[in-house]
Amino acid sequence: MKRIERFFEFTRRHFEKGGKLEKLWPFYESIESVFFAPARVSQVAPNVRDSLDVKRYMMLVIVALLPHYAFGVYNVGYQSHLASGLGTDFWPVIWTGLKSVVPIVVVVYIFGFAWETLFASVRKHELSEGVLVTCALLPLTLPPTIPLWQAAAGISFGIVIGKEIFGGTGRNFLNPALTGRAFLYFAYPVQNSGDAVWTVLTGAKSAPVDAFTGATPLSIAAVTERFGDVHASLADAGYGVSKLFFGLYPGSIGGTTTFLSIVGAAFLMMLGIANYRIIFGCVIGLLSTAFLLNLLATESSMPYLSMNPMHHLMSGGAMFAFAYMATDPVSAAHMQVSRWIFGFGIGALTILIRVFNPAFPEGVGLAVLFMNLFAPLLDHIEIKIKLRRRVPNV
Amino acid sequence: MKTIRVKKGYNLKIVGSPSHLLQKAEQPTYVALLPEHIPFVKPRLKIAKGDRVALGSPLIEDKRNTDIQFLSPGGGRVADIRFGPRRVIQEIVIQLDETEKKIDFERYSQNDIDKMNREQLVRVLVAGGLWPLIKELPFRDYARLDFLPPALFVRLGSLEPFHPAPKVYLPGNEQLFRFGLSVLNKLAEGRVFVCRHEADTESTSLLDGLINLTYTGNYPAHDPGVLLYRMKSSPQENCSWFVDGQDVVLIAHMLRNGAYPTERIVTLGGAGARQPKHFIARMGAPLSAIAADQAENESWRYIQGGILSGYSARPQSYLGFSETALNLLPEGNRKGELLGLFSPGYRKTTFSRAFLSKLNHQELEMSCNMNGSERACIACGYCTLVCPVDILPQFTYKAILAGEVEESLEHGLLDCVECALCSYVCPSKIELFETIKNAKAAFYKEKEQVRR
Repeated sequence: MKRIERFFEFTRRHFEKGGKLEKLWPFYESIESVFFAPARVSQVAPNVRDSLDVKRYMMLVIVALLPHYAFGVYNVGYQSHLASGLGTDFWPVIWTGLKSVVPIVVVVYIFGFAWETLFASVRKHELSEGVLVTCALLPLTLPPTIPLWQAAAGISFGIVIGKEIFGGTGRNFLNPALTGRAFLYFAYPVQNSGDAVWTVLTGAKSAPVDAFTGATPLSIAAVTERFGDVHASLADAGYGVSKLFFGLYPGSIGGTTTFLSIVGAAFLMMLGIANYRIIFGCVIGLLSTAFLLNLLATESSMPYLSMNPMHHLMSGGAMFAFAYMATDPVSAAHMQVSRWIFGFGIGALTILIRVFNPAFPEGVGLAVLFMNLFAPLLDHIEIKIKLRRRVPNV
Repeated sequence: MKTIRVKKGYNLKIVGSPSHLLQKAEQPTYVALLPEHIPFVKPRLKIAKGDRVALGSPLIEDKRNTDIQFLSPGGGRVADIRFGPRRVIQEIVIQLDETEKKIDFERYSQNDIDKMNREQLVRVLVAGGLWPLIKELPFRDYARLDFLPPALFVRLGSLEPFHPAPKVYLPGNEQLFRFGLSVLNKLAEGRVFVCRHEADTESTSLLDGLINLTYTGNYPAHDPGVLLYRMKSSPQENCSWFVDGQDVVLIAHMLRNGAYPTERIVTLGGAGARQPKHFIARMGAPLSAIAADQAENESWRYIQGGILSGYSARPQSYLGFSETALNLLPEGNRKGELLGLFSPGYRKTTFSRAFLSKLNHQELEMSCNMNGSERACIACGYCTLVCPVDILPQFTYKAILAGEVEESLEHGLLDCVECALCSYVCPSKIELFETIKNAKAAFYKEKEQVRR
């Protein structure tokens, strides 16, 4: 402890005014305040302040994401070994997983922090913790096969265009991580659109290529032929209910597991970090829209219409996005009723994009971004209604 | 009897609650008047340094209305007049004589009060120097002389940590309270609400039949602004008046005995007090007179008024004109422990659910540390959850910063009861309360200028 304290005391002067690295002060401050909370005291009333700060708020989201990383590392390795015809012993699998996940995470964090520090030092304010969460979220939505330069481009777009040009954390109206993801989705569809399988091949030369063909559950569902049964074709491809629920299939690094997403959502809702109205709104929206489509489905219609609502909830990254993307407080709706509508809209749009838009196998990311655009309008309407009820005081 | 249930708000679990023990504070040799902290008043000195004054002789008058004078809390010599930046009058210090001279006011019996008409009564109260204890909502300036209030609230006790309990200041003063209440009834022409918390059964038994409004809920349910917000049905009611329970006794004392009151019951609370308790203290007494017995090994912040809405004072300062509480809290100007960010936080107070302290029902120690640094608003919505009068602080705040006065008024800016909870809960450490309070005051000053 003493040693860490001394380290900060020793390095501090380089970053302070007049020091050689004075421009990097926001970066230094953000690191130091993770280790030691600053000594700042209240200058005006109230004299005491709540123990919760944005740093803790954001850290708790990262804590909720850690199981996804553990799962992601395992799953990436596991799928890779399966596809390459290697054994699935635990440690080799983890090692393979780490080899493909860690570089992506490191690259994303380096670029994310670089942009954030640049903007913070030009604007002369402290580094905002939002970037930590953005950088933790983005890799989980990426395919493990993504070239590193694309990961860097994605986080740069997300941070700069999704957030900083509007004034930084708190002033953005789009979820920065999803903005980055959507950018990759549309700019480099070959690697990122989600209809091809995302599996890292280990020692590709000797691998049987057969084990590697196939598609993600959502693209299977989308291309099931007329008069076919979606559930049957999913089962044929090996996507049973439990596989979908636990997410042990090829896909983005950590977004496939509905189980961990539910655990994370429960954790964040319990701590009051994620708003339960948004999450439940999303789930209700998704289930009810899928159910409605079930009612519309006839034998001659698209088989996708008749996909079970629970299957919809479990496949792809729906629950992951509901738990972590839709609940970003800044870009979500801010009023209580609006949050329900906001969530419902995300759920409903997810189904509509999935079912009626075969070009996009997964719709949840676009649904969240789309509802992000509507959030201010929803808020505006609710505030107007609320204010009308007040007894005026002028 | 009417009961108002306040659902929002928040009670701090904080150590240092004063016991109901009552002790007489030591007799001071200096007392002072602090014009700086009387809101909105523009003081003009009526005396100079070295002048001799008597108890109850005017020290300053308000330039806005020269009828309003603030009287000397003691007899003696003006020892010092301290000026602050831009020559704001901070303290008028009076060295007390062995035998103090005092101004004799007229004495009134219940009968006299009954016979008097409202204008005469107002004049008597103004001359007695205690009119400014009667405050007017929504700005909390002293009440207008030529205005008949739609209602008048008498507040017994406070939920803010820590203020004198009615249980301590009422016993023995029931008759005076009753007398004071008859005066207030005349001022408000009968529309007086005496309010107590549901748990406060002592007041009910002491003031048999006088209490006509009960409230339940967390801080600041006791605030007349909150009660008014929950009761009002038309904009005309916004300008209601309110008086603190103890001030009713002071007003009655002044009228009944014909002398400017010298004593008040104040509390010493917070972690800094070795024995937090009530004191009978001289009005305008030095803070050291009641804060002598403090815990060691810490730099304490002296807070005049409640822990949330009070202001920090120099330890050498004096009790303010209408202050009844001194709270000592650790300054907290040191770095946090290593990686404290990740601790489960069983002993860290919070409104949110992000710490284990949510399960801890003990009273906890708090310091004046900010517990974080300023960030942009992340729209967590805690301020909205906590605001007792349903303002949307984050949106109101943004409207104020954007210069949209009309919009902020529409948001209920003037309904703000100045409880400071929005700033307390904010994880981005935004000074919401300061911004809203200043906007409110600026609006009031502008309005006053137009009126004149």
